[in-house]
Amino acid sequence: MSRTTEEKRVSEVDFVDAEIMPSERAVVVPKPDEGLHGSRAVISYLVLPLIFLAVTLLGGFRFGAVDNAFLFLKPPLVCLVYAAIILVLFVRSGLIQIDGWLSEGFPMLRNLASCLCLLTLFAATVQVFNSVMPEQGLPFWVVAFFFFWTLWNNLFADFDARRLLRSVGAMFALAFVAKYLVLANLAAAPTESSWLQRIFENPGKEALTWVLDLPRYSSGTGYVQFFTVALFLLGLYLTPRRLPND
Amino acid sequence: MRERYIHILSIAIVLTGFAAVTFLYWSEPRSLAEVATKGSVAIGTYAVDRAEFERGLAAFRAESFAEARSAFDRADPEKRDALAQFYVAYSFYRQGWGTFTNDDALFRSGIEAANRVTAIDPNFRVNDPTLGMKTPAELRAELEEGLKITIDDLNPLKLTRERK
Repeated sequence: MSRTTEEKRVSEVDFVDAEIMPSERAVVVPKPDEGLHGSRAVISYLVLPLIFLAVTLLGGFRFGAVDNAFLFLKPPLVCLVYAAIILVLFVRSGLIQIDGWLSEGFPMLRNLASCLCLLTLFAATVQVFNSVMPEQGLPFWVVAFFFFWTLWNNLFADFDARRLLRSVGAMFALAFVAKYLVLANLAAAPTESSWLQRIFENPGKEALTWVLDLPRYSSGTGYVQFFTVALFLLGLYLTPRRLPND
Repeated sequence: MRERYIHILSIAIVLTGFAAVTFLYWSEPRSLAEVATKGSVAIGTYAVDRAEFERGLAAFRAESFAEARSAFDRADPEKRDALAQFYVAYSFYRQGWGTFTNDDALFRSGIEAANRVTAIDPNFRVNDPTLGMKTPAELRAELEEGLKITIDDLNPLKLTRERK
């Protein structure tokens, strides 16, 4: 390689975040740690979508009360609205910098991959709301109202990414406890016995199940949903502010 | 160059993942076995279990209708085979038919099964010489007639009619 070509290459470098080391024949610019860069790309483009896809799959998954049959519950419309609000919060707080994910200056393939990663984040958020919100009746409206209250307040508060993550984690953890520990224990366990027999055996729980219109699921549902919420929070923790540059 | 492959792999994973999640929430399988069956329906490789079908046919001809229906259900769990569903409908007819009165619940189930046959194949015709009715339309007409209460039901000559 001729000297003029090397000089031309060096002049094309606008900004380098590294120490410049003189060499005998030319200026050598040490590259950033390629291993670290590669692992960041793998986490952002492969691990994160897999985590969020798993959350998307499991968020609406329940086990039937009597026969442990699989139940796939589609999310109510309100979950999509709340997920959209949460994404706005992520952008406002700087947890996600849109220009670090999508830009006219990036190659089309990278923009498409980033866009799909964000789509998995949105889908996972929808399904986490689907997971922690009661399915029907009075508890659904009460929890939906408190979610709305919290998100609406957050929309006008000043946040940094770390605080928002804590707030979102606490919100989902509380909702999980309310649904899978409190409400699930208020609902009477499914039995093969008749309606009248159940009333005599357990009048309080039967009455609450009827008044609050609580669905009955197998106990395995709570374990799966705990894993789902934990996986979602792990995904959020791993989500980078900006995607690594090529 | 390596980044490019990561992007392509990422796009493939996300699109495949979304397709799988959409399929599961759309088809709502109730067990792992149903996931496999519905998957084969989605990719067009679904086929009835011939051994179970033959077992069902043998039970049908031996007049063990409940057993025949169980075998047909195992042979065609997705209820997508017109022939299996026709035999299911016919088994409801034969089991529910009575000299004096018919079993209305079985006849209604038979009409549902006959409607399924029509939905699967509107021009369906069975080639079984042991059956008196060859098409779902004939079978449905007979089942609907059996559900009606008319003055004709009091005709003593009706006692001489035969099961088809």
